[in-house]
Amino acid sequence: MTEWLGRLGRLGLASARHLGRAGILAIATLAALRRPRMYWQATLAQAKVIGFDSLGLVLIVAALSGSVLAQQSGYQFTNLPMWIVGSTVAAGMLTELAPLLTAIVLAGRIGAGIGAELGTMKVTDQIDALLTLGRDPVVELVVPRVIAGAIMLVPLVVLANIMGIFSGWLSAISLLPMTSEQYIYGVRDYYHPASLIFSLIKGFMFGITITFTACYVGLQAEGGAAGVGRTATNAVVAIIVSLMVLDVVLAPVYKAVS
Amino acid sequence: MIQIRDLKKTLNEKKVLDGLDLDIEEGMSLVIMGPSGTGKSVLLKHIVGLFDPDEGDVLVDGESVPNAGGREIQEIRSKISYVFQNSALFDSLTAAQNIQLGMPAEHCLKVDAHSDPAVAEAIRHVNLSPEVLWLHPAELSGGMQKRVAIARAIVGNQRYILYDEPTTGLDPVNANVINRLIARVQGEIGATTVIVTHDVESAFYLGDRIALLADGKVQALGTPDALRASDNPAVQNFLHPKFEEAAAT
Repeated sequence: MTEWLGRLGRLGLASARHLGRAGILAIATLAALRRPRMYWQATLAQAKVIGFDSLGLVLIVAALSGSVLAQQSGYQFTNLPMWIVGSTVAAGMLTELAPLLTAIVLAGRIGAGIGAELGTMKVTDQIDALLTLGRDPVVELVVPRVIAGAIMLVPLVVLANIMGIFSGWLSAISLLPMTSEQYIYGVRDYYHPASLIFSLIKGFMFGITITFTACYVGLQAEGGAAGVGRTATNAVVAIIVSLMVLDVVLAPVYKAVS
Repeated sequence: MIQIRDLKKTLNEKKVLDGLDLDIEEGMSLVIMGPSGTGKSVLLKHIVGLFDPDEGDVLVDGESVPNAGGREIQEIRSKISYVFQNSALFDSLTAAQNIQLGMPAEHCLKVDAHSDPAVAEAIRHVNLSPEVLWLHPAELSGGMQKRVAIARAIVGNQRYILYDEPTTGLDPVNANVINRLIARVQGEIGATTVIVTHDVESAFYLGDRIALLADGKVQALGTPDALRASDNPAVQNFLHPKFEEAAAT
């Protein structure tokens, strides 16, 4: 019992320590935003890595999820009119699948990469080298990644929505007993601007969450190559947990707003 | 001048520095030697403000490093170059861009690293050909990486250059080249140099003065000749270790 309480206490202390450090990093990141000359070039480079280089994977996942959604809803809702498939795909993609699956793809592709890159820089003294060279690691490393993540997730989510709804249509008309008109009617019946705006806001917030969490975990790395490996894993786990928590928090907000 | 006063630091429950006092005078080439794990690198990191002491003070030109705020620490660091044990070059940048980082940030924003005269001068100082400027660290050998790191340290004409184990990981030929390079750079630039090493040969070659660190304190300090002649047991143990003691360090 005492041992169990001790473990719980240590876990609580570690969590509080991480929250405190992450808070300090968040404040430093916000403070660094006022020096755009120092980071805009690095931000463009990061935007390419996060946005363009991830596009193919994001579109494939969106296409597959749109197709699955259309097929499953067509098979399940047998007693409802078939246009409901269009509504289900639009609702599923706009409110959840496009932003969340895009974010999870990027958590694996970008989050692990940022965690490992910054972790390697930490354990090979490159972060210390930046400090001794009079550079601010937050300005040089964190801010460009967070801004690029926030900006690039929005168009990625837009494209994922389009691809998901398109692949849902393709699956619906080829695999289900329904017409294009029924599908489009269903999509239009569900669609309202708030759902799209909410989807984009989610993308924006998920972009910040992925990149900021990866940067934070990366900067905590220690212990050589094994430490960097652990950091990459920790970054992905921390990002996915953060995304899910944020998603749960945003759901009632969406309900209230819409 | 760098003054270290009663410096104490405990890391992982081990007392690494235990009331260390040391003066590093202007223009001096001071070698800090001692067995592995005696806090030599920790001491360097205190000088540049990467570590905060538990007790004591580090003064650079009379300014306290541990008590310096954000702007003051930048001011102090602008006087100091630091050559890291593993070179700490940035993988995503070319050698030229790595070297140019030794210049003020404003300069780097205005001038392309590959056509920067200061970078060209620094690469000449370390005997590397200009073609190297376009290569990334992964394309350079260990010795070349070390030379690029030294070029980065001298490009900004800082008054103090700190070397952390500059020959570690190099073969004897390259280690010798780096030692001669450090000595030549010291002669040409005249910066105050602090070199941390556990290599006795390097220490006696590079140091105007040598400090022997053990048990968290300076056990002996003097010219190479004075240290060789010293009958201080700590010095003799380090210079002529018995097998069992050497194995223990």
